Amino acid sequence: MTAALFALMLAQNFDQRGFIEDQTLVYPQIAPNDSGNIVNQILLRWDASYQLTPWLKFSGSIDARADSHEQTERVWSLDVDDRSIKRPAFSLRRASATLHKGKFTAELGRQFIRWGKADILNPTDRFAPKDYLSSVVSSDFLGVVAARVTYESGSNTIDVVWQPLFTPSRIPLLNQRWTALPSEAQGIPIFDDGARYPGGSQYGARFNHIGAGYEASACFFDGYNNLPYFTATENISGVSVQRYYPKLRLYGADLAVPLPWFTVKTEGAYFTSTTPGADEYALYVIQLERQVKEWSFVGGYAGEIVTHSSGNPLEFAPDRGFARSFLGHASWTLDANRSLAFEAAVRLHGSVTKAEYSQAFGQHWRATAGITWIRGSETDFLGQYHRNSYGSLAIRYSF
Amino acid sequence: MVVAAAAFAQDPRQIIEEVQRRSRSDSQRYEGTLEVVGAGNRIATKRWTFERIGSFGESKALLRFTAPAEVKGVALLIVNHPDRASDQWMWRPSIGRDQRIALQDRSTRFFGTDFSFEDLEERDVQQFNFKLLGDDNGQWKIESRPHKASQYTYSYLWVKKDNYTMVKVEAYSKSGLVRVIDYRDFELSGNIWTARTVEVNDIARKSRTTLKYDKLEYNLPLKEDDFTLQALRRS
Repeated sequence: MTAALFALMLAQNFDQRGFIEDQTLVYPQIAPNDSGNIVNQILLRWDASYQLTPWLKFSGSIDARADSHEQTERVWSLDVDDRSIKRPAFSLRRASATLHKGKFTAELGRQFIRWGKADILNPTDRFAPKDYLSSVVSSDFLGVVAARVTYESGSNTIDVVWQPLFTPSRIPLLNQRWTALPSEAQGIPIFDDGARYPGGSQYGARFNHIGAGYEASACFFDGYNNLPYFTATENISGVSVQRYYPKLRLYGADLAVPLPWFTVKTEGAYFTSTTPGADEYALYVIQLERQVKEWSFVGGYAGEIVTHSSGNPLEFAPDRGFARSFLGHASWTLDANRSLAFEAAVRLHGSVTKAEYSQAFGQHWRATAGITWIRGSETDFLGQYHRNSYGSLAIRYSF
Repeated sequence: MVVAAAAFAQDPRQIIEEVQRRSRSDSQRYEGTLEVVGAGNRIATKRWTFERIGSFGESKALLRFTAPAEVKGVALLIVNHPDRASDQWMWRPSIGRDQRIALQDRSTRFFGTDFSFEDLEERDVQQFNFKLLGDDNGQWKIESRPHKASQYTYSYLWVKKDNYTMVKVEAYSKSGLVRVIDYRDFELSGNIWTARTVEVNDIARKSRTTLKYDKLEYNLPLKEDDFTLQALRRS
């Protein structure tokens, strides 16, 4: 009887969801450093949570992966820090405890922290490293190990975050197509010499206010850029490349104002750094969004103002790469099961355009087919990937 | 007493105030099963849990999808105001962020159902003008026009005379009939006559959503803290 009651209690407080997805990417063109045309990847993601008491909840998420293009480690040990060059085969995506008492909420452990209001680029979203390994133009978020305390009183929220362990964004592999090498470097053997990870902790705070006709935030971050700069060392066998992550301080703000015909969202941040060789700059986004019946439209401009340029070209910076762009997204919900989406980023010398059709079959299955078309010159951030246009098909079973 | 009720009830505002008074509760919780039948008879089934604290115009509600698996965890927080349209935020686990639903977007269908975001609001009677149009078949037919921004220019409401329950709504925009909402299968629950089935017909799309209420409870001990943006993120 006691065991049955305990099991019932567990069932009521336990929640889980997940999916298994197989995705195939087809690249019509080969790249100088990658002759593969087809990449297949499979991902099993399982999220679970357990509400131990009304004020304490445990959340966890694990990923299990495999792929055909050596983008995933072949070692089946559980990776907990998510710092490997390749994706771990088996990783702890989230493991956190959430405590809630009155106006305070604290989350401790590996978790996802998202800041910002814009949808097409988020300059203030600094606790959200990404996985760019299999596509620079379509990425997933990585969790961070942090302590986050939120105080919410009426329409005001204060969010304080301390991240003791640095989690870098995962960048494309040097010997694969999403590392676009300049033409003069082609044919030279390039070796990955690892990374110098910063040892210090990172912290930040954000204040958010909800007004009757607007919502606004101001934020501060002090830590490191999760996107790397590189040092290149020439040696007898080629060039060794090492990643490092410069200091970064951010002062940011965002604002959303719903107007009668559309909503204006804007977000901006000014980045400074004390690391030699790092730039100082501002990124900003202004976007308009509107839903008309089953259509949703988001369009805007992402800009960049460089206040101090170090002239260091050896960096991987998709956030800045998508700046100085006109960005747009449109989606159409055909019915309860089917949708269409279009997305574009257009710079002066490069562009990426995506189209995607998605359809659910029954309660568990979904198929998504898409085309990503990249054009431009090799000197442009987007244009350098002009050989990487691809078609994709993903089959997902959700449970 | 019946005569007295019928006499004062000829004023349409008083009829609607009586509807609200009889359905008032401090809190509510139910599990809803939705069947969406689209054009071409494509059927999708979804489930959500709904919790509300407070009542008309001063209530807060949190709605969480529990099925199908791909939308499980999607949640909507609705903060109703006595003098204006509600504030609404949606949480999607896949992006890990809440998104405010702008006022001009409230006519959009809510997550593939035939409910619009506005249909999920609870507006107070003071936000409308009313006109009594008819009185037959044991029901009052009342025209309702919103003072504040709404996708609907006006609506026709049918209220049963014997127990003051709303049984049907026809909602019109400038271009004509938009939605028909039928309330059926009434049961007395916690001393409140409650429709256990609500059917929403989207006229233009020729689709309909049927919502069935399970495990309906009123006046539960819910907490204000569970109806905030932080609660939405915790869900």
